[in-house]
Amino acid sequence: MSIWPEERVHALADDGFETVDMTINVGPQHPATHGVFRMVLTVDGEKVVDCEPYIGYLHRGLEKLTENHDYRQAMGWWDRTDYLAGMACEMAYCMAVEKLGNISVPLRAEYIRVMMVELSRILSHFMFFGAFGADVGSFGTSFIYGWRERERIYDFFEEVAGDRMFPTYFRPGGVQMDLPENYQDRVRWLLGSIRQGLEDFDGLLVGNEIFVERCRGLSPVTPEQAIAWGLTGPCLRATGYKFDLRKDEPYSVYPNLKFDIPTGANGDVFDRFMVRMAEAWQSTLIVEQCLDALSQMEGELVLNPDLPKTLRIDSGECYVRTEGTKGEYGVYALAKGGNKPYRMKLRSPSFCNLSALREMVIGTYVADAIIILGSLDIVLGEVDK
Amino acid sequence: MLFADPLFGLPSWIDAIIRIVIVVLVMTVFVIYSTYGERKLVARFQQRLGPMRTGPWGLWQGFADAIKLVGKEDIRPKNADRWVFELAPYATFIPVLLTLMVLPFAENWGVRNLALGVFFVFAVLGLNIVGILMAGLGSGNKYALLGAVRAAAQMISYEIPLVVSLLCVVMITGADTGNGVGTLNLNTIAALQEDRPYIVLQPLAFLIFFTAMLSELHRAPFDIPVAESEIVGGYFVEYSGIRWSMFQLTEYASMWGFAVFGSVVFLGGWAWPFGVDSHWALQLATTFTKALAIVVVIIWIRTTVPRLRIDQLMNFSWKVLLELSFLQLIVNGIILYYDWPQELLALTSAVGAGFLIFLIIRHASARSTKGLLGTYRTLGASSS
Amino acid sequence: MSKTLAPKPIDQVVKLLEQRFGKLPVAINQTATDANIDCPPEHFRAVVEELKNHRDLAFDFLRNIVGIDMLEEGLACKYQFFSYKNRQAVQVTVLTPPGNPHIPSITDLYPAANWHEREAAEMVGLIFDGHPNLKNLLLDEDVRIHPLLKAHPLQKAEILQGIEDTTPGFTF
Repeated sequence: MSIWPEERVHALADDGFETVDMTINVGPQHPATHGVFRMVLTVDGEKVVDCEPYIGYLHRGLEKLTENHDYRQAMGWWDRTDYLAGMACEMAYCMAVEKLGNISVPLRAEYIRVMMVELSRILSHFMFFGAFGADVGSFGTSFIYGWRERERIYDFFEEVAGDRMFPTYFRPGGVQMDLPENYQDRVRWLLGSIRQGLEDFDGLLVGNEIFVERCRGLSPVTPEQAIAWGLTGPCLRATGYKFDLRKDEPYSVYPNLKFDIPTGANGDVFDRFMVRMAEAWQSTLIVEQCLDALSQMEGELVLNPDLPKTLRIDSGECYVRTEGTKGEYGVYALAKGGNKPYRMKLRSPSFCNLSALREMVIGTYVADAIIILGSLDIVLGEVDK
Repeated sequence: MLFADPLFGLPSWIDAIIRIVIVVLVMTVFVIYSTYGERKLVARFQQRLGPMRTGPWGLWQGFADAIKLVGKEDIRPKNADRWVFELAPYATFIPVLLTLMVLPFAENWGVRNLALGVFFVFAVLGLNIVGILMAGLGSGNKYALLGAVRAAAQMISYEIPLVVSLLCVVMITGADTGNGVGTLNLNTIAALQEDRPYIVLQPLAFLIFFTAMLSELHRAPFDIPVAESEIVGGYFVEYSGIRWSMFQLTEYASMWGFAVFGSVVFLGGWAWPFGVDSHWALQLATTFTKALAIVVVIIWIRTTVPRLRIDQLMNFSWKVLLELSFLQLIVNGIILYYDWPQELLALTSAVGAGFLIFLIIRHASARSTKGLLGTYRTLGASSS
Repeated sequence: MSKTLAPKPIDQVVKLLEQRFGKLPVAINQTATDANIDCPPEHFRAVVEELKNHRDLAFDFLRNIVGIDMLEEGLACKYQFFSYKNRQAVQVTVLTPPGNPHIPSITDLYPAANWHEREAAEMVGLIFDGHPNLKNLLLDEDVRIHPLLKAHPLQKAEILQGIEDTTPGFTF
């Protein structure tokens, strides 16, 4: 009976004592992989010697489906990439289509979009705080804390768009319909609740010595490494490099809005957590500004009225990048006539961040490997497309 | 009626069996309700309701779970070592059960009143790890192996501070009994605390005991042998049905065992605050109230704190707890040898405990962990 | 640490590229969002090395790799680069001739290219010479299909198509 037939045996030179490296298969069904992700860890005792990630368990052929659907039909597929922040994906998709077809978007629709995207960002970050707390071992308490805010935001999404996770609310040229009547009060109440939730997390996790001790100094990444590995978003900003597409390659109405870009210092797991914390707080400020702007333009159009029933785009090529919740969410689009795109490619931040996992976990403990994976905040729908 | 007197004049061994059966049955009901209680309590900590469907307020949930577990298929993996795998739950459960034999729940209420009670508890509880290692090695699963090895390493580290912290109390009993000879008899230890519980004299020892107890129980933040988010349950990952529930039974039974034990040694057991002459029902209620308090604190800690890493766990045991426990032992020895007043014991130990707490608080606050969120709480605060 | 710089307008980038690559047989134009270099596969390595190492270009970040089936024109591969230093973006288009979908790998220059190249290889059948580990990434390891080829059907189970016959990479 041998349960490890495949391991390498290597002898230690000093005392001639032979040890066996053991491979541990983590996933695809494992509570810490946030979905169906699999990694094979080679461990020497508790130390990780090697790590081989396997992805693709949630591959749904997003790009093939997009090529075979009408520009507006394909929207629904893109919600399902980053399923924690569907609106942010819709935003990128719609921007790509608008870029190809030179479609203008009414200003009110832009503000609505930005507001919804920022709410999605908050929502996604809350899920991260919760799931990450569970990774570190906080027995579900942090998870439920995150869930509370998530439910409240989803309730608002449902009221706006009729669906919670996959709202399909944006359209090329605007948004599907105007916000419900009481949205100002709803969102302002929501922001208060979100800030309370952030304070709660600050107390529950960041105020906890064990949590800090587990995360601080773990897998530090320098800005140079982060750029070479293709890390974007909070993982890049945690290294201290101030780069945010909302500021540095501004799109939509972000130039009109005031907000700060939180950066960390060491690029370790703790900084990644804190950057997301601060980012969620900044997002609440953005949403407030959007509300103020929206109150000035009540009753204006939210969808470009000049669009034909079927969008047909003769030719064009673009690579639209937005600051998604996990990093640079880019959409490459190529049109060659007709009502379908010739090729659409998603550059998903989770995919690129995950590809750096191997470099990060080698030399750490098994327990650390789990929380490093957690700190990348991957969404498997986005990784596997 | 004395502790050693058989019930109804029955032969001693029949009497012992009757007492064992009573303790085991009561403990089983306690375990069933402590799973229910834990779920309810954890749910309240997490802003949920917990079990609500099975009976009023979900009161039958524990029994429903038990029936479900008994009815489940007993699965054995193909590459498991059959006998090691199947006997491991019993090897884990029996030592825990044996420790219950010497606990005095009230005056002279227990199965056996051993003169070496404290010693017996630790001698037997140490065997617990054999069952865990059997489960880990016999399962043919690497998660189980990792969990078992972690459990063994953890148990070896934390047994020492645990025992030393209890020795501190046993030393003081020597002064209390009047003849200079300490006692390991749990019933006597409880009776000696009629005036003040030993936690007053030995807060540092209690802190060490409590921490090491959490570790022995594999409870958060020391639950690394069973860490769900890393090794998905550790040594019992391959078990199902009745064998899995044996492990759960062990966990909760040892939790209650430790809670009663701790309340007897440190919190005055049945004797404080109502005195040794109080009614037996009051004594019983006193013991269980104290034990319940300990259990609730254990669950509270579980819902609040994250898990330590294995090296941090080892560091904490060998670099902090062990030193402090020996320091306590030496200080106690000096004070008792020169017959200095007992207030000095309380003072020195409280200073030690205070120092420990101060260290932790300073450690936590010196890192300004709230910095980043604080900086970005308003607009333009970081216009650098 | 780093200042917020305005992104460089596309026409400036185009001008810059024309200065640098005027001698090579590459075409420089622009898409709706980026400057674009059309580059044959044999000059691709030289172009990328120049893009990465030259002081004015300094494209230190590989954003994305797209593999595209251009039908009778062959397979195209598009690389999106970005320069954190100079805040400019460029796209490099490599069009491989039909039947010969070989492109030199750039994983040694950009570690981030590893998974992108694997994905492009399995999706359209490009072959990246010099890639350390050109296995399937998103698809099953033993599946030999290239779903994003236009010839690949959208529906029906792949296993019934009889197209599960090629090695990784592309053969007609």
